[in-house]
Amino acid sequence: MLKIDNICKKFGSKIVLNQVSLSVKKGEIAVLLGSSGVGKSTLLRVLSDLDHADSGVIYYNNKKLDPATMHKQHLVGMVFQQFNLFEHLNVEKNITLALEKVVGKNAQEASAIAHQLLAQYGLADKAQARINQLSGGQKQRLAIARSLALKPEILCLDEPTSALDPLLTMHVGNTITQLAREGYIVLVATHDTALLDTLDCTIYLMEQGAIIQTTRNADFKAHPDQYPLIAKFVWGTIA
Amino acid sequence: MIDFNLLVCSMPALLRGLLVTLKIAALGCTIGMSLGTLLGILQALGPRIGRWIVTLYVTLIRGTPMLIQIICVFYVLPQFGIRIPTFWAATLAIGLNSAAYISQVIRSGIASVSRGQIEAARVLGLSNGTIIYLIILPQAVRAVLPALGNEFITLVKDSSLASTIGVAELSKEGSLIRSRTLDAFTVFFGVALLYLIVTTALSLCVAYLERKMNPDAQN
Repeated sequence: MLKIDNICKKFGSKIVLNQVSLSVKKGEIAVLLGSSGVGKSTLLRVLSDLDHADSGVIYYNNKKLDPATMHKQHLVGMVFQQFNLFEHLNVEKNITLALEKVVGKNAQEASAIAHQLLAQYGLADKAQARINQLSGGQKQRLAIARSLALKPEILCLDEPTSALDPLLTMHVGNTITQLAREGYIVLVATHDTALLDTLDCTIYLMEQGAIIQTTRNADFKAHPDQYPLIAKFVWGTIA
Repeated sequence: MIDFNLLVCSMPALLRGLLVTLKIAALGCTIGMSLGTLLGILQALGPRIGRWIVTLYVTLIRGTPMLIQIICVFYVLPQFGIRIPTFWAATLAIGLNSAAYISQVIRSGIASVSRGQIEAARVLGLSNGTIIYLIILPQAVRAVLPALGNEFITLVKDSSLASTIGVAELSKEGSLIRSRTLDAFTVFFGVALLYLIVTTALSLCVAYLERKMNPDAQN
C-alpha cells in the first residue's frame, strides 16, 4: 500500500502542494484530477523523486521511502506527458538500456524482455523503428512498456491522454485498468474527463495544491449531487 | 606566374610540413575535444562553482589571441620550471584554445537535448555517468556536428601559428622555401593548395558523419 502523508511543496513563495495526503492499495487506480497548474504533476514528480517535498512523508507497505535509494529499488515507474523517449535509440533499445545498465541483464535477456513487452503492447513489429517513426499512441504504449520493464510496483502516468484522440484515450483507459488488474498501484494525473469516464478509480480533485474532494468514481457516477466540486469540474456545472 | 617546377621541387618539404600540421591538428583536436567536452558538461550540468570556472576559462581564452597563448605556453611556462619542446608547446596551446570554443559548442548541444529525457533516465535508475555518456552526449554531438566540423577546420588553419615559435609545420616550411627562392606566389600557392585539400577532406568527412548520424536529414 502506498501512503502519501501531508506532502507540502513550494516553488519560491508559490505553494504547489499543500498538505496532500492519500493512500492507494495494490491493484487500485488513483486519479489526480484538476486543471493545469494545480500540483498534480508535481505530486507525481515528488513520488518519483524528480522533485523533493519540503515536508511530509511517503510510505510504501508501512516503510518510509528513502529518496536516496528509490531509483535503485525501481519501485516507481513514470510515464511522462511528453513520453520522453530516448530519441536517438530505436524502440527496442529504449527498453533494453535500463535493463542492461541498471539491472545488469545481458543483451539477450534484455532483448527477450523487450520483445515480450513490445508484443504485449502491440509494438512487436516496431522493435527496430526509430522513435520519430511512431505515432502518438505507439509512443504512449512504448513509454508504458519502458517503465514496466524494470517491474515497478507503482506506476505514475502524467497526463497520459493529452496528445491522443478519443479512440486512443479509450485504449489508454483500458491499458490502465489492465495494469491495475495486474497488481500495479496506478496514479494518473489528468484533466481529461473522457479518460476518467473509462476508469474504475478513486478521484482526488485538486485545486491550488490541495485535494479538495475525493470519492470513488462509481460513487460519483451514482450520486453526483453529493460531490459538487467534482461535478463542476467534470461537467462544468454543479449537478 | 606559378613556377610549376619549383612547386614540384618544393613538394617533399611542404608535405613534411603538412605531416607536422596534421599531427598538431590531430593532437590539438584530441586535447580540445576531450577537455572541451568535459568543460561543456561542467558548464551545462555541473555545480555553480564549476560553471564559474568554465566561464572564466572561456572568457580568458576567447578574449586573447591564440598567438599570445602559444607564446605564453612556450615562454612563460619555463619561468615556472616547465620546459616543453616547441611542437608540444604549440599543440598544447592550440588544444587549450580549441577546448574553450568546443566547450561552448558542446554546451549548446547539451541544451538541445530535452530535459524530459534526462528525467526519464533518472526515473529508470540510470547513473549520472550513463545518462551523460549514453543519453546526452550522443544527441548533443549529433546536434552540433556542423559546428564541431567548423571548429576542426579552424584548428587546422590555426596550426600555422605554431610557426611563430619555430615549429616546422606547413606554413613554416613554405616560409623557409620562399626565403631561399624569393618566389612567394608559387610557394604559398602550394601551401594554400595543401591546406585546401586537407580542409576540404575534413569537410567531406564531417558531411559524411552528419549523414550517418542523422539518417532522417535531407541531403
